[in-house]
Amino acid sequence: MTPRLSRRTLATGLALSPLLAPAVVRAQGEPIRLGTLTPLTGAGGPYGPSMRKAMEGVIEAVNGAGGIGGRRIQLYGEDTQTNPDAAVRAARKLIDVDRVSAIMGTWASAVTTAVAPLCWESRTMLFTVSGADSITQLPHRGFIIRTQPNSTLQITKLAAFLGERGAKRIFILAAQTPFALPNKEILDREMPKYGGQVLGQVIYDREKTVFRSEVDQALRARPDFIFLNGYTPDVTILLRELFRAGWTGGKVAPAYAVNQRLLDSLPAEVTNGTVTWAPSPDVESPAFKRLQALLGTNDPDPYSCQTNDHASLAALAIAKAGASTGDAIRETVRKISQGQGQPVTDVVEGLRLIAAGREINYNGASGLCDFTETGDILTCPFRYEQAEGAKLKTLRIS
Amino acid sequence: MLSHIVEELPQLVVNGLVVGTILALPAIGFTAIYAVLRFPNFTVASHATMGAYAGFVANVWLGLPIVPSLALAFLIPALSGLLCDEVVLKPLRRSSAATGPMAAAIAAVALTIALENVIRFVFGNDLRGYDLPVYRDWRFDLGFAFLRIGPQQVENAAISLAVMTAVFLFLAFTRTGKMMRAVADNPTLASIKGINAETVARLASLIGMGLVGVGGMLLGLDTSIDPLTGFRAVLTVFAAAVVGGLGSIPGAVVGAIAVGIGEELSLLVLDASYRTAVGFVAILVVLTFRPRGILGERAY
Repeated sequence: MTPRLSRRTLATGLALSPLLAPAVVRAQGEPIRLGTLTPLTGAGGPYGPSMRKAMEGVIEAVNGAGGIGGRRIQLYGEDTQTNPDAAVRAARKLIDVDRVSAIMGTWASAVTTAVAPLCWESRTMLFTVSGADSITQLPHRGFIIRTQPNSTLQITKLAAFLGERGAKRIFILAAQTPFALPNKEILDREMPKYGGQVLGQVIYDREKTVFRSEVDQALRARPDFIFLNGYTPDVTILLRELFRAGWTGGKVAPAYAVNQRLLDSLPAEVTNGTVTWAPSPDVESPAFKRLQALLGTNDPDPYSCQTNDHASLAALAIAKAGASTGDAIRETVRKISQGQGQPVTDVVEGLRLIAAGREINYNGASGLCDFTETGDILTCPFRYEQAEGAKLKTLRIS
Repeated sequence: MLSHIVEELPQLVVNGLVVGTILALPAIGFTAIYAVLRFPNFTVASHATMGAYAGFVANVWLGLPIVPSLALAFLIPALSGLLCDEVVLKPLRRSSAATGPMAAAIAAVALTIALENVIRFVFGNDLRGYDLPVYRDWRFDLGFAFLRIGPQQVENAAISLAVMTAVFLFLAFTRTGKMMRAVADNPTLASIKGINAETVARLASLIGMGLVGVGGMLLGLDTSIDPLTGFRAVLTVFAAAVVGGLGSIPGAVVGAIAVGIGEELSLLVLDASYRTAVGFVAILVVLTFRPRGILGERAY
C-alpha cells in the first residue's frame, strides 16, 4: 500500500513545521509588541530621531540573536510632536491599535504627564526621560520607570554648581511647564546653603515669539545670575534679548536647551559664558561605546543613551518574566536592573544569561539603571559645560 | 505701585508697538484674503513660516542682504498661496454656496499642517538664524524711566511700515487696487461693472500670502526660525484681524497694534504666562460691543 498523505496529516504537519525551523526563522512567529513615543518634531525634535534609532538598534540586536524565547520584537513608533495633545492621540494608537506592552522614550514632562494615565489604566509600562518630580508621584502603580534624574536631584546639583561659581542673587525665567514651580521651590530651599537666594521667577508662555518685557522684569530685580529654565526655541530668544539689553552677568540653562543647535543659530558673543548642566551618560561604559558606533557619533545625547536602556530593560524584563505583558515588565524590571546578579551591559549577553537561568544586573549607556520603588533613578553623574566661541567646553563630569 | 507702573509703562508701550507693527503685515494678508474670498484662509501659519525660510535661503544660503531677501520672502509664499487656493481651496469653496467656505476653511487647516511638514522635510527641525549681527539696544533716560529700543526692532518696524504704505498706495491709487476694493465691497456690483472677480481673487491670494510671508521673515529676524515660527504667531494674527474688523485692512493694522500693546500692558497686572489669553479677551470684548470689530468690515 502506498502511503498517502491525508489532509489532516498535512494540516498537522504544516502547523508543527515552524518548530523545525531555526531560531531566527521561528522568531518570526507571534511578535512581542513594543512602542516608541519620541518627540520627532517640536521642541524635542532635535533628539527624537536619535532616541528612536537608539531603541531600534537594541531591537535589531535582539531579533538578530533569535528574539526572546523564539519571538521577534515588533517595534511601533509614534511622534509626540512635543505636544501633550498629539502625544495622547499617539499613545492611544499604540495602546489600542498596536497593543504594545511598553511605551518608551517620552520626552518633556508635560507630554509624559499627559500620557502616563493612559499607560497605567491600560497596564502598559511607560519608560520616560522626563524629569519633573510630579511624574513619579502620580498614582502609577509601578507602571512608570524613568532614567532621567528627577527635578530634586537635578536642581540640588545646580544649586551646588551655582554656589561654586559665586552666584548670590538668582532670577529665574521659566517656560510654563510642570517643573517650573517645583524647580523654583527646590532652588529656594537649596541656595541659602551656599549663601545665595532666589530673587524671583517669571513664568512665560513659550508659544510667544518675543520676550522683551519678561527680560526687563528679570533685570529690574538686579540679579547676578539668570537661570533660563526653558527649551531651545524660547531660550534662543531669551539669550538674544539678554544680550541686547546689555546683560553681562551669569547665565545658566539646562543642556537640553543650550545645545549645539542653539549655539549654531546665534552669534557667539550672545552665547559666550552661558553655563549648562545635565545628567551625563556613563561615558566609560561598553554600552555607551556600542551606542557611539550605532549612532555614528562620539557624543550621543543623554536621551538617546536612556532610550537605548529603555529598550534593553524592556527586552530583559520580558525574557526574565517569560511573558510580554505590561504587568510582567513591571514585576521583573528591577530583578534585571539591580541587585546581586552578574553585571551586563549588552542586551544579547543578558538574554543569554537569563536563558541559562542566571541572575543579571543590567548597567547601561545612561548609567547604573537602578530604580527606587516609585520608579526614580537612584543616582547618575552630571556634566557641566560652558559655551565659548559657539562650542560647549566641558568644565567637569562628576 | 503707581511709580512702578509709570516706570514700566513707556517700555511696555514701545515693545507692544514694535510687535504690533510686525504682526500687522500677516494680519493685513489674512484680512485681505477674507475681504475678497469671504473665507478665513488658515494657511497663514505655514505661509508665514515659508516666508521666514525663503528669506533664510536668500540671506544665508545665497548671501543676499535683508531687503532683497524680503522680496523672496514675499514671492515664494505668494506663489504657494496662489497655488494652494487654485488647486485645493477654490474647488471646495465653490462646491456649495452654503457649506463651501466652511469646507475650504477646514481644508486650509489641514493644508497648513501639510505645508509645515513639507518645510520640516526640506529644512529639518533645527533652529536657524539669519546672518545678522546682534546689536546692543539703544538706551534712553526719560527721567522717570529707562527706555531701551533695539536697532533691529526699529529696522523691522520701518520695513513693516514701508510695506504697509505700499499696500495702501496700491489699494488707493492703482486701477487693480481699486478693483480689489470693489470686489471686497460688493462682488455683484463689481461683476456688473465688468471687473473680473477671478483675477481679483487670484491677486488677493498672491498679495495676501506674500504679506504674510514678509511678516514671517520679520518675526524671524527678531528671533530665530523653526518649522513652528508661523504657528507661534498665528493666534495673535487672528486676534488682530478679528479685533480690527475682519475684512478691513486699516482694521488689521489697528487690531495688531491694539493686541500687541494689550498683550504687553497685561504684564502690569498678569503673569507673563497669561499673555496669550489677552488676544482672546480682546476678541471677546470687541465682538461683544462692536460685533464687526473696531473699524467694521469696510475693506478700505
